[in-house]
Amino acid sequence: MIPFRYNLRSILARKATTAATAFGIALVVFVLASALMLSAGIKKTLGASGRADNAIVMRTGSDAELNSSFDTTSVGLVLAAPGVKRDDKGAPIGVGEVVLVLALEKLGDPGITNVFLRGVPETALAFRPSARVVSGRAPRPGSDEVLVGKRLRGRFKGFEVGQSFELRKNRSVSVVGILEDEGSSYESEVWADVDTVRTGLGREGLVSSVRARLESPAKFDAFKASVESDKNLGFEVTRETTFLEKQSEGVSIFVTALGSVIAFFFSIGAMIGAMITMYGSIASRQREIGTLRALGFPRWQILVAFLLECSVLSLFGGALGAAAAIAMRFVSFSMINFTSWSEIVFTFEPTPAILLMSLMFALAMGVFGGLLPAIRAARVSPIQAMR
Amino acid sequence: MTFLGLSAKNALRNRFRTVLTVLGVAIAVLAFVMLRTVVWAYNVGVEAAAPDRIVTRHKVTFVMQLPKRYIDTIRQEPGVTVATWANWFGGKDPKHDREFFSTLAVDPETYFQVYTDVAVAPADLAAFKENRRGAIVGDVIAKKFGWKVGDKVSLKSPIFPGDWEFAISGIYTATRKSVDRSTFLFHWNYLNEGMAARQRDQIGWVVAKVSNPARTADMSLAIDRKFDERDTQTLSQSEGAFNASFLGMFTAVLKAIDVVSIVIIGIMMLILGNTIAMGARERTQEYGALRAIGFLPRHLAVFVLGESFTIGVLGGTVGLLLSYPIVQLGMGRFLEENMGSFFPYFRISPGNALLAMLLAVGMSLVAAGIPAWNVTRLRVVDALRRVA
Amino acid sequence: MSESTMVRVRGLSKIYERGGEQLKVLSGLDLDLAEGTFEALMGPSGSGKSTLLNIIAGLDRPSSGTVEVKGEDISRLSESALATWRSRTLGFIFQSYNLMPVLTALENVELPLLLTKLGGAERKKRAEIALRIVGLEQRMDHYPRQLSGGQEQRVAIARAIVNDPAIIVADEPTGDLDRQSADDILTLLEKLAKDMNKTILMVTHDPVAADRATKVHRLDKGALSS
Repeated sequence: MIPFRYNLRSILARKATTAATAFGIALVVFVLASALMLSAGIKKTLGASGRADNAIVMRTGSDAELNSSFDTTSVGLVLAAPGVKRDDKGAPIGVGEVVLVLALEKLGDPGITNVFLRGVPETALAFRPSARVVSGRAPRPGSDEVLVGKRLRGRFKGFEVGQSFELRKNRSVSVVGILEDEGSSYESEVWADVDTVRTGLGREGLVSSVRARLESPAKFDAFKASVESDKNLGFEVTRETTFLEKQSEGVSIFVTALGSVIAFFFSIGAMIGAMITMYGSIASRQREIGTLRALGFPRWQILVAFLLECSVLSLFGGALGAAAAIAMRFVSFSMINFTSWSEIVFTFEPTPAILLMSLMFALAMGVFGGLLPAIRAARVSPIQAMR
Repeated sequence: MTFLGLSAKNALRNRFRTVLTVLGVAIAVLAFVMLRTVVWAYNVGVEAAAPDRIVTRHKVTFVMQLPKRYIDTIRQEPGVTVATWANWFGGKDPKHDREFFSTLAVDPETYFQVYTDVAVAPADLAAFKENRRGAIVGDVIAKKFGWKVGDKVSLKSPIFPGDWEFAISGIYTATRKSVDRSTFLFHWNYLNEGMAARQRDQIGWVVAKVSNPARTADMSLAIDRKFDERDTQTLSQSEGAFNASFLGMFTAVLKAIDVVSIVIIGIMMLILGNTIAMGARERTQEYGALRAIGFLPRHLAVFVLGESFTIGVLGGTVGLLLSYPIVQLGMGRFLEENMGSFFPYFRISPGNALLAMLLAVGMSLVAAGIPAWNVTRLRVVDALRRVA
Repeated sequence: MSESTMVRVRGLSKIYERGGEQLKVLSGLDLDLAEGTFEALMGPSGSGKSTLLNIIAGLDRPSSGTVEVKGEDISRLSESALATWRSRTLGFIFQSYNLMPVLTALENVELPLLLTKLGGAERKKRAEIALRIVGLEQRMDHYPRQLSGGQEQRVAIARAIVNDPAIIVADEPTGDLDRQSADDILTLLEKLAKDMNKTILMVTHDPVAADRATKVHRLDKGALSS
């Protein structure tokens, strides 16, 4: 067998060309890995807050909380349905909330951006055990105090603890705390008292959705059947996890598709780059390869040796690209969520699967780019050694 | 025979490698044109917006509506020639569940007076005004769904429950690039009558046409001031600024595309630089001979740069030739049909084509910089001795 | 004037430094080349004959000593002045021809004229004359790969004389050729010296080739022994 050291040294002998090729592959892997990481980040953010034992009730036909609207009086009705878990005092566990979108001025960037506003009852934090106030304190019920999601902090005027901003003209609210929830989309929302939102923004007597905690995930079907049975009320019940999955679908497909198309074109470019390098390397090593053949190495070993050489090159590039992509973790990416028309801040989420896939992709580029040149190398005749 | 002629011939010497390199550059150009066109097409809505239209909406949130009487106040504003209003319906055709298109409830009398860039046959427009359930649809969506004048269409809305029945009265085309040709327009009255009493007489937004486009900013302020003390405040913007604030929500995506565009240029340079460096290395002895017969280092640099230039021009040309069918006819048609509200006009602009070409040529010269510099530093005696 | 000295080399030394060690390739040699003569330079590998040729041709610089061509000390010329000087005064013939594979015979011969101010038609005319002198007027539009080795070398000679240089230097011009082609090339070189008054300095290994020269210089260990 041709010793591996031979290939390694050959790679190191042509530093500039090798570096250029590896760097090209690194760029492609960087773009691909970043897109996948962003897509993973979106899924995590939009899906993180979901629980299998939570059901969300909205008006039939409305695919987002924002479009749904019904009477407050129905909240009690919904929570009285079978399967809803009850607390120590026998009260059903669930929240009726009203959501809206506020047009606010961004700090730094010119222009207006939509921010998701959730009007919540005082049990909202208790209902979501993962959500907590990390700075400041929880708002007093029925007051004009609000919580600002961690990822919105400082991005808009007045979005800091102790500051205030206007829900509308002459209706100012004060920020008393910062909300954190394991990276979920709640971190891109503003939470205010449900009645403050209703009276302040003309939503008297209305809610957008009801979330109910079920006794167990298995109780979902019974709960759903009961709530949807009254066609006049016109309710649709979805598992919270399913609902959130659907919410993230659009954005995550968009990012994955865009990223894949770009990575596809880029990889063709990088493969061509690898091919040029390998052909060049083989052309200038005709005599060397001829000598190996004259010494008795069979064709297939030469083929393998060159494929190996190209694979090492591309894996090196891939590792470089993946490492650069990991650094994207410190970049946050704010994007419109198609279902709420408001801005959500995403992060790039590196997972072992993505990193592995990036390396495999780099390897594939190397093997495909190196295959034709390696075949040519294997066909070099021993006579070349004599020239 | 000239210096450049000789370089061009050199570029074609290793045919296979040159073809690969040209292909690599061409693909980079294609990807670049594609991304720049996405950005450009996004911005068409802003750049091609009508300069003489002001959009007025709820100050706090687009989800909430304005009282219908606001339209009369706006019509009284000096300088406003005509004003109309619309409501977002969010309609979906149950038969085409996953297709997105805009559905607006409009005032049949004034809508087409304000949107003069939406062209409907006079007879169809007259028929639309007569029929309370009539609808005017864009030619792109009509073609896609196979709708013809006279067809019955049933839509659902996530905002307004129930089944809504319509009859197609006419099909519109556009005379301005920023006009979405996939919109479904129907009578506002039909929507309003179908609502519960307390939700009636609400309008989504008002669009006013003004006599002097230079004064849109002042007039926007004047309109908002009128409503400042009323129960619902407004936000008025020129159509361009309105579109810009909508598109502004995609800033991060556009920024990412910018970064990716720069990465493309990087890949292009690596491919080019690699090829040129290899060619120069293989030709060392030849360059030595040229130096021996009196050519100066700068002549050799011209040879190397000329070679790269040739490949750059070829790659740019091939890339543009690939871009037109792929980006404009393939992707462009798809996006105009399926995402018409984001990309009403997805074409390769001459500016972007030129930019891509200049980049291919410019990068070819930059990429050849190091090999060219190395060639000028060759020692003749060493170069002659070297067997390539 | 036909017997005047074209090249006068005095006290020429060349010392290379390799890894801190000094390598004396040429040590204080003197050499005169007369105008219109065909002279050969012989010597074993490593004797310094290529170095001597390179220095006379203005490709390399001496460590000490002078090289005067037509009375001008070329070791004092700058890098770019030397290049111009070469293009006007010198013709080169290489062992491996060094023709551009992408150019036709005619274009290859025309190449040095790109450095002059001559117009395209005039360049072509002169290249044609040069090719006629070497007897290849029938092969003007052929590419190097369509020519035999001897023909390629004749194209290279046409390229060397196209700018009418006073001196022609040839480094193993027959090294890659068969006997018959080598003979033709040597005859051609003789003719150039005799009929066109060129001063020719040829480095060679081959005693048969050296015999054809008017004068043979032998170089051994950096010193001449004629």
